[in-house]
Amino acid sequence: MAGIGWKLQRLIDRDTLAGQLAAYMTGVAVTSAPWLLTTAVLVVLRLTSSGETAAELSIAEQLMTWIYAITLILCAPIQVVASRYAADRLYDLKIEGLAPTLRRILAATLVGFMIVGIILVAVADVNRQLAGLGVGLTVIVGAQWLMLSVGGGLCSPSVVLRAYAIGAPISVVCALAFERGVGLGGSGYMAGFALGQLVALSLLIAGTFRALPAGEDESARIAPAFRTYWMLGAAAFVYHLAIWSDKVAVWLVAGGRAAQVYTTAAAFAWLSVIPAFAWIYVQVETVFYQRYRLFYDGIEGGATLDELRSWSKGIAAEARRIVRGAALIQLLVSGIALAAATTFMHKAMLGDSMVPTFRLLLVGSALLVVTLLGLLLLSYFDRRRDSLIVAIVLLVANLGLTLLAAEAGVSPAFGYVGGCAIGCGLSLLLVRRSLESLLVETFQSQPFR
Amino acid sequence: MADQRHTVALLLEGTYPYVSGGVSSWVHDIIRGLPDFGFTLYHIAAREDLPLEQRYTLPDNVAGLSTVFCAGAPSSPLDARGREKVEAEIRQARKSAEKAGPHSRLLAALRALHLDTPIDRALLQDLATADLDVPTLLYGRQSFDLVCELADTIAPKAPFLDFFWHFRSMHLPVLRLLHSPGPVSDVLHAVSTGYAGLVGAVHSVRSGRPLLLTEHGIYSRERDMELGRVSWLRASPGADVDGVEQLRRFWSHFFVRLSQLTYMQASTIVTLSEVNRKKQLADGAPDAKIRIVPNGVDLDAITPPPSTPDRATKGVLRVGFVGRVVPIKDVITLIKACHVARQSIDLEVDLIGPDSEDPEYANRCRLLVEQLHLQDTVRFVGPRPAKELYAGLDVVVLTSQSEGQPLVILEAYAAGLPVIATDVGACREMIEGRTDEDRRLGPSGIVTHMATPPETAAALVRLARDPQLRQTMGIAGRSRVRDFYRRDRLIDAYREMYGSLAERR
Repeated sequence: MAGIGWKLQRLIDRDTLAGQLAAYMTGVAVTSAPWLLTTAVLVVLRLTSSGETAAELSIAEQLMTWIYAITLILCAPIQVVASRYAADRLYDLKIEGLAPTLRRILAATLVGFMIVGIILVAVADVNRQLAGLGVGLTVIVGAQWLMLSVGGGLCSPSVVLRAYAIGAPISVVCALAFERGVGLGGSGYMAGFALGQLVALSLLIAGTFRALPAGEDESARIAPAFRTYWMLGAAAFVYHLAIWSDKVAVWLVAGGRAAQVYTTAAAFAWLSVIPAFAWIYVQVETVFYQRYRLFYDGIEGGATLDELRSWSKGIAAEARRIVRGAALIQLLVSGIALAAATTFMHKAMLGDSMVPTFRLLLVGSALLVVTLLGLLLLSYFDRRRDSLIVAIVLLVANLGLTLLAAEAGVSPAFGYVGGCAIGCGLSLLLVRRSLESLLVETFQSQPFR
Repeated sequence: MADQRHTVALLLEGTYPYVSGGVSSWVHDIIRGLPDFGFTLYHIAAREDLPLEQRYTLPDNVAGLSTVFCAGAPSSPLDARGREKVEAEIRQARKSAEKAGPHSRLLAALRALHLDTPIDRALLQDLATADLDVPTLLYGRQSFDLVCELADTIAPKAPFLDFFWHFRSMHLPVLRLLHSPGPVSDVLHAVSTGYAGLVGAVHSVRSGRPLLLTEHGIYSRERDMELGRVSWLRASPGADVDGVEQLRRFWSHFFVRLSQLTYMQASTIVTLSEVNRKKQLADGAPDAKIRIVPNGVDLDAITPPPSTPDRATKGVLRVGFVGRVVPIKDVITLIKACHVARQSIDLEVDLIGPDSEDPEYANRCRLLVEQLHLQDTVRFVGPRPAKELYAGLDVVVLTSQSEGQPLVILEAYAAGLPVIATDVGACREMIEGRTDEDRRLGPSGIVTHMATPPETAAALVRLARDPQLRQTMGIAGRSRVRDFYRRDRLIDAYREMYGSLAERR
């Protein structure tokens, strides 16, 4: 985290428009590039697929959606704990233990997601070819999430960008070639897509391990980190479950096809958070991190109470500035997207009927990105319990309100907006409480034996 | 004769029966000298994990011994599960603290104690409520507000992290002691101020029993002196001189205030010397309560060697240091003085006493002996039986940085030996005389300035070269004990005080 923050700060310190732009583009690359490129690939495939195999493509698309959703949810705790473990090792200057640990956890992830994939295709009840490809894609995507979380923080953003810049076009070309050129239909479409993703994963793995030092500490173990940070892992798991819960609710109430359309619209709506997300990432990793370190280093370095009060106020002011900035950017982007909603839905071939829902999904996404910022800030202050509470409330509210809305015959996105609003409000409230009590919490939480 | 049924609770901090030394010997003598009183011992020790080895066989009239610890054993590093457990405990404690509400009389009393609010009975009564538990002190919001207020007021330049831990370390013993079951007796007798005095004062308020205070050294002054040496005041890398000084004053002032609390509640304040009486007055002790009761020794039990003038006939001065090898005794100065003196005279120096209390300091002393090539001159002989302490010595030296009224000097006098001692505590008046009548006996030794090896060396050389002077001083010392420092008078004084206080309740 600190490493990438330093790189971003160097770009900003150039004090030129190009430097600023480069910093934010790096932010986009690290936070959004993988799913942006993956979404782009799926959109291209959808727009260019032949009508003859539409039914089979739809099944493949649904399967891929579920693969992404389930791998993301299941991998979330591993991602969070593994990246926290990596950050701790970096902080303790014990980076030499990372490579073997990462190898072991990668191996466990591959095996684990193979089992998940088998269960998934069995439940989805797809044909044997799609099932085999589905298992393979589950393993690939699960491993990608892991490598993105750990590798993204450890190596240059260019490694991530390069992996997807090469993998994504291969996915498009191969999917189209296998589907139409070879005439393999939905299976070919999925095989081509999976091939490109496999290339991206391979490049990610190679790049990440190249960034880690040759000296190794085989005794390093990640298992204790799961015990230490179980609450953080649980929060990540529940949060990801929460952001998919409305889709599940729609699937339960309206069926697979409706859920597919809803999910696609939600994926488009989520694209609106990219600028705010990049802003948050760059600001948190640079200015906020510096204020944060100033405070905590100050404590250990012999700062007086007055200094600590001043630095703690600095952190609070910085957090408020980032929230305001993110909200402003999001307001602007969401405004444009709301105005252009009809056009988007036409281009995405989702139809006029989805426009109101898409608009609501835009509002929900805007609230969700602020919620995510809240969670990020809470994790900075090690408020694991609060993070978990926010995630649980978000899950319950999102799922419950979406079901209620769907049952009431209005757009389920009303429920999504309501759930996100509750999650957003709660996270900001808890962040505010954390900031107000930073000094007392930092000291009075210290055990004394 | 006092009533057989009268009981006295002796409140002892880091002394009898686990530490040998002047105060412990004094306590042992008092108990043995008053078989018609029953005693219970309430011992305050530093930490639960530090071993306590009893150094004295308790006399039959000791009915009980309870030990209270200022702190628990330090915990080993926690694993993930341990951390989780502690975090859960802290959360629970914080919830309880929230429920307990903001008004703790004890917390208010601690605030008053630090902020120079006049010490009165109401403050002691607030302390006696003990309406603040340890978790609330450690994790509660109100106690943190107090930490901040005190940091702003007392130590604005100190590293706050250090101040925070000092606050905890300072007050945790207070809470542990206030929550512990108090001593039960007719009379409470604190043998120092500090934590023992605090316990005495608070339990005196709670039980209505009278409190007697005896101060050998002046506790607050001794702690202040120690604070000037300790390294833990400079824990933070960024600590500047002003900040460290503010932390030192935070502690030092706390100990003065504890003394003032004890002075206020004590019915009688016994001091050993005029010098200490003046210090107590300066620290706020009411003059009317102070009574001087000097230490005493049994002159008949110690007989001087018959041929005193001839002992150094071989030209070697035999020097004895009798005491614990600890920093406050400043044995380093004595060793350095021996190094200087050896350039003029031949001498043999026995360091008689335990060196286990501060092994690091004892090692420093040993290293210095080696560095100065004094292995043939200075011997660490360890503890010796009381009867053999002064046998074969020509002079006793005491280079302490702080003393009350050292028994060692009185015992040396009883053995007919002159004493070289630093000008601390009552040493000067013990050597040169306190009253005109006392002074007429002549000096019984030589007084030197503290931490000045050349002065101590000069005194050694002077006594080595003048056997007649040694003899004259030895006779003056023995006369001084006979006239002013008799054990039977000491015992009678305490019999009378215990009796009248017990009757008063």
